[in-house]
Amino acid sequence: MKYIVDIKCLSVYIKGKKILECIDLKIPRNSIFTIMGPSGSGKSTLLRVINRLIDLIPYAKVEGKVYVFGMNIYNVDPYILRKQIGMVFQTPNPFPHLSIYDNVALGAKLNGVARNKDELDKIVEWALRKAMLWDEVKDRLREPPSKLSGGQRQRLCLARALAIKPKLLLLDEPTANIDPVNTRKIEETLTSLKNEMTIVMVTHSPHQAARISDYIAFLYMGKLIEWGPSSQILIRPRSKLTEKFLRGEI
Amino acid sequence: MTSIPRSDKLFFYALLPFAGIVLSIFILLLKILVENSLPIFIREGLGFITSNIWRPSETNSRIEYYGILSPIVGTFYTSLIALILALPASIALTVFVNEYVPHRFKILIVNLIEVMAGLPTVLYGLWGAFIFAPLLKDYVMVPLNNYFWFIPIFSCKPTTPSTMFTASVILAIMVTPFITSVIREAYEAIPLSYREAALGIGTTKYEYVKIMLTMIKPAILAAVLLGFGRVAGETIAVSMTIGNSFSLSMCLFEPGYTISSLIANQFGNAGFYHYMTYALYGAGFILLIIGLTLNSIGLYILVRWRKSLEET
Ligand SMILES: Nc1ncnc2c1ncn2[C@@H]1O[C@H](COP(=O)(O)OP(=O)(O)OP(=O)(O)O)[C@@H](O)[C@H]1O
Ligand SMILES: [Mg+2]
Repeated sequence: MKYIVDIKCLSVYIKGKKILECIDLKIPRNSIFTIMGPSGSGKSTLLRVINRLIDLIPYAKVEGKVYVFGMNIYNVDPYILRKQIGMVFQTPNPFPHLSIYDNVALGAKLNGVARNKDELDKIVEWALRKAMLWDEVKDRLREPPSKLSGGQRQRLCLARALAIKPKLLLLDEPTANIDPVNTRKIEETLTSLKNEMTIVMVTHSPHQAARISDYIAFLYMGKLIEWGPSSQILIRPRSKLTEKFLRGEI
Repeated sequence: MTSIPRSDKLFFYALLPFAGIVLSIFILLLKILVENSLPIFIREGLGFITSNIWRPSETNSRIEYYGILSPIVGTFYTSLIALILALPASIALTVFVNEYVPHRFKILIVNLIEVMAGLPTVLYGLWGAFIFAPLLKDYVMVPLNNYFWFIPIFSCKPTTPSTMFTASVILAIMVTPFITSVIREAYEAIPLSYREAALGIGTTKYEYVKIMLTMIKPAILAAVLLGFGRVAGETIAVSMTIGNSFSLSMCLFEPGYTISSLIANQFGNAGFYHYMTYALYGAGFILLIIGLTLNSIGLYILVRWRKSLEET
């Protein structure tokens, strides 16, 4: 299985409005695949199709075929799919009623990634370290996430996603609230995680895309304008729209 | 105040009398209640709530004595049993309606629940007393007593359909729609982003529901307290099914009393006795305190929970 995600003419409608239009996309295994595009172009929606969270939106209609890990996503129980897919959302959403520790531990516990307290402690620490949050929270793991800053919450959500040891990681602007130093560190983390998982990331920053991605896709108003190896997209985009976007004109 | 525009100010002054009337009626009621219950508290002191004696006398008012321990205990006892039955039902109903029922039917069921919550309670009483109570006796109380006689609450032989057990079950049926609607509102108020977070880590439906329910735990507690307030004050359906007797038994299959059913049952005779009216006002005062306490704590928890939802 060379491609972790294989999307064939995917269209999405919400309340009859076309949000995505016949998208064709293949995401190679163990790569960092970046999705770029102006606000409202459908990036978050595309991520939500991959783990079927789109099912939660009433009146959303999905057409076309999507294969993840070689399975047609509409032929498996969604939770079996989602157990192997971590997701970090555009706005940080740690569970307000759980402690920092439990936010990270919950998924690992439920999915059987950790079978006892020791393993759980290890996973939590590993995930928090990978998310560059460990040093800031190691002495207050029992506190609620409401005491964290926006950027810390975002990193907590990254840790929560990593703790389920996913094969596929979906990141929706994971560094939007995070300072440059930590952003760089997280980028290093992502690069190091590439051996263990495939990463699909939405970002608005061409610089970030240039730094870490292997492939870039450019979405515009629900259409996939082009996609390919990052160097090609960044240096010699085929479409005028991509060029304009990269220059910051749309 | 100063920043309110002129026209709004007029509007404000136009509304003032109505708010004033409502408030003064409430204060007046409170005054009457206090004034009329004072004599019994002065005469009997703490004995009014700690003793279980109901001794009216037409001829000699000096020997009259009223102690409402049995109705007080009965109120809490039947309410507790009712809530124990109603809470799981309400949670199950909430989850069922939100997670399993297709959208169209959901609206139907939700409206049905609201209608049930608003039905005149005398209907529950009628239905409970004439149809439900005898069935309950033959098919639930008797078997429970036969097989679980060693548990104190089931230890006595049910001799009549009108028992504390019957009243508790009727109360549970009546309060379930109310508790359900409080819990359901909270459940539906959970932001989509938390639902996504819970499903995003690969939870099964059961795990997901468990996370959602722990998230609204404070609201569930509030629903129980508010439901308690309702059940404790419920009058007509209880007096029609509880048997109205001053017993102080642990056993649910005995007839009993609650404060409100006591008042409903006795107020017709109260005029014949010197102190009974005061005693009933006193009982009403106790009921008011119970209801106010439960409702204020419940509302406080609910408001605080809603705020916490907005903050995160
Ligand atoms: N739940 C929804 N109901 C209705 N319309 C929606 C919903 N979610 C998304 N949309 C619409 O779908 C389109 C794409 O939204 P999406 O969130 O995927 O954009 P995006 O590329 O992630 O934008 P941004 O960069 O601002 O996050 C938008 O026009 C949006 O209005
Ligand atoms: Mg988005």
